[in-house]
Amino acid sequence: MSQTKMPSARQRRLRSWLFWAVPAVLLLLPLATNPYTQFIANGILISVLVTLGFTLVIGNLGQLAFANTAFFGIGAYASAILAAKLGVPWLLTIPLAGAFGALGGFLASSAALRGIRSYYLAIITLAFGELMRWAYLHAKPVTGGTDGMPMPRETLLGTSLSDDTLKFYIFLAVTVLLVKATLNLMRSRFGRAVMAVRENEVATASLAIPTARVILVTFMWSGFVVGCAGALFARHVGHVFPESFGMLHLIASFAMVLVGGLGSVLGAVLGAVLLTALPEYLRAFPGMEELFFGLIVAGVLVAMPMGLASLLRRVSPIFVERFYREAP
Amino acid sequence: MLMQLTLGGLSQGMIYALIALSLTVVYRSTTVVNFGHGDFVMAGAFLSYVLVVLAGVAFLPAAVLAMIAMFVLGVLFNRGLIRPVRGGPHIGLALMCIAAGYVLRGIARMVWGREVLPMPAVFDMQPIFLGNLVITGDAVFIIGTVLVLLLILFGLLAMTDLGKMIQAVYQSPRGARLIGLNVDRFNDFSWGIGAALGALGGILVAPVSLLHPDLGASFLIKGFAAMTLGGFGSLGGAVLGGVLLGLAEQYAGAYLDSALIEITAYVVIVAVLFIRPQGLFGRKAVVKV
Repeated sequence: MSQTKMPSARQRRLRSWLFWAVPAVLLLLPLATNPYTQFIANGILISVLVTLGFTLVIGNLGQLAFANTAFFGIGAYASAILAAKLGVPWLLTIPLAGAFGALGGFLASSAALRGIRSYYLAIITLAFGELMRWAYLHAKPVTGGTDGMPMPRETLLGTSLSDDTLKFYIFLAVTVLLVKATLNLMRSRFGRAVMAVRENEVATASLAIPTARVILVTFMWSGFVVGCAGALFARHVGHVFPESFGMLHLIASFAMVLVGGLGSVLGAVLGAVLLTALPEYLRAFPGMEELFFGLIVAGVLVAMPMGLASLLRRVSPIFVERFYREAP
Repeated sequence: MLMQLTLGGLSQGMIYALIALSLTVVYRSTTVVNFGHGDFVMAGAFLSYVLVVLAGVAFLPAAVLAMIAMFVLGVLFNRGLIRPVRGGPHIGLALMCIAAGYVLRGIARMVWGREVLPMPAVFDMQPIFLGNLVITGDAVFIIGTVLVLLLILFGLLAMTDLGKMIQAVYQSPRGARLIGLNVDRFNDFSWGIGAALGALGGILVAPVSLLHPDLGASFLIKGFAAMTLGGFGSLGGAVLGGVLLGLAEQYAGAYLDSALIEITAYVVIVAVLFIRPQGLFGRKAVVKV
């Protein structure tokens, strides 16, 4: 276990003040953006949630589960189908998409709970993601097949929901809410149980902690967060395609998790902020995205295995969340 | 019809067997599952394409050269990138392999863009007609090559001293080190062999399919499915699992629905892991405290 200094009471107060200061400043961001940078800023908020959900399972719970892309796709399709086919207002589809994501999390954890761990879990969750993509492609009447699903036009308080500034405020609210909730969850007794399962599952069970329930709930919460992100994504791009939920999305999420720091909420935010915008500029050159993310992941693993969050922790105890290992 | 499907399934299955076997070789000796293996397969196919089409080398020497190049790449990958993260949890190793795969894929796409390339036919043999059955040169070539290779490999393992040493490393790396075997070098060797065999899979499918930088992903999943079906870590199981998967794909595609060919492997993975996680020939995993 780490010998990191824990923050003092004063630093903890400063930290909770800082937590609200960041989104408060961000409220002014639309004043400083043009339509393109605003679009990217919205994408960053979505990445924050995706990375957060991912780091919970692979960093905090320490399970090699790659179903994250599946949760994201499930959330996006749930939102698009509910909005386009059943006429549910998009805002309402966000928690519903989260619920479907949580259902995906339940399915993924049912594999983990059957004792499928480590590489087996990685393989079965990869298969799960690809099966979902196959389903999007082949369930044409429901998902639109290769043509995807367009999001219906909607207005909110007299403003069109295709307005990026309005979207930004909604995305920001959802992101702040879910990040705060996750932080609180990980600081609770439950969060400590999650990390205990990562360190030694058998020892944790011997302390009368229901490890199966801990795994189940973590997967479901991860699925919920990422499912909500999927609903935001559906509105963000306005059209849901099966290709958005393939392998490139997976490696991008890996890179964000690792650069920020495995198992750190702050790291998830940092990684998403740093790595969402950059590929936009690489997209024009074929192959550069893959090369870039591949090299980043390999480089971070060798040089800085616990990511940027571990550097920040050394700078000030303010950035200490709880219970880190200093190696992955 | 049934015979034709069986032949098609066998020749596909041999490729899967080869890929599953190459994954198993690495897994058994180093306990690393190479999640970037599909891209090694792709790299083998592209290297042979470059040598045959652009450099004008004949197919056989091109295949050998490509395999040697991939052997070297496998060794370098193990030394340069896997060793620094060894000893850590599985997640670091898995991510490192995935990262390496993406780098290979990125390079392929940088050079070729989003094109899909056809490889010229290698084996211009007149198909043989046996009643309704059509035997193509490609099928003969694929099945023959893999069978010969399997005989050599399993013969080496079972009958030579080298094979005994490799089996010793498989059983217990620590024990093997204690009796004076250079386990690190064996690991390098396994990575090299794994990469070269995977590349051979790519080289063999190249003439019968189209080349594109994403071709590895599906082969990776098929390799996993074959390994899972045969029993993770069992060499013979990997081969048998690959053949069974190839047959299952063909039968499911013909008798049920052609869209099922793509997902047979996924269904196999999910079904086997839920019903019989140890596969056909694997040993049941026991958690040691």
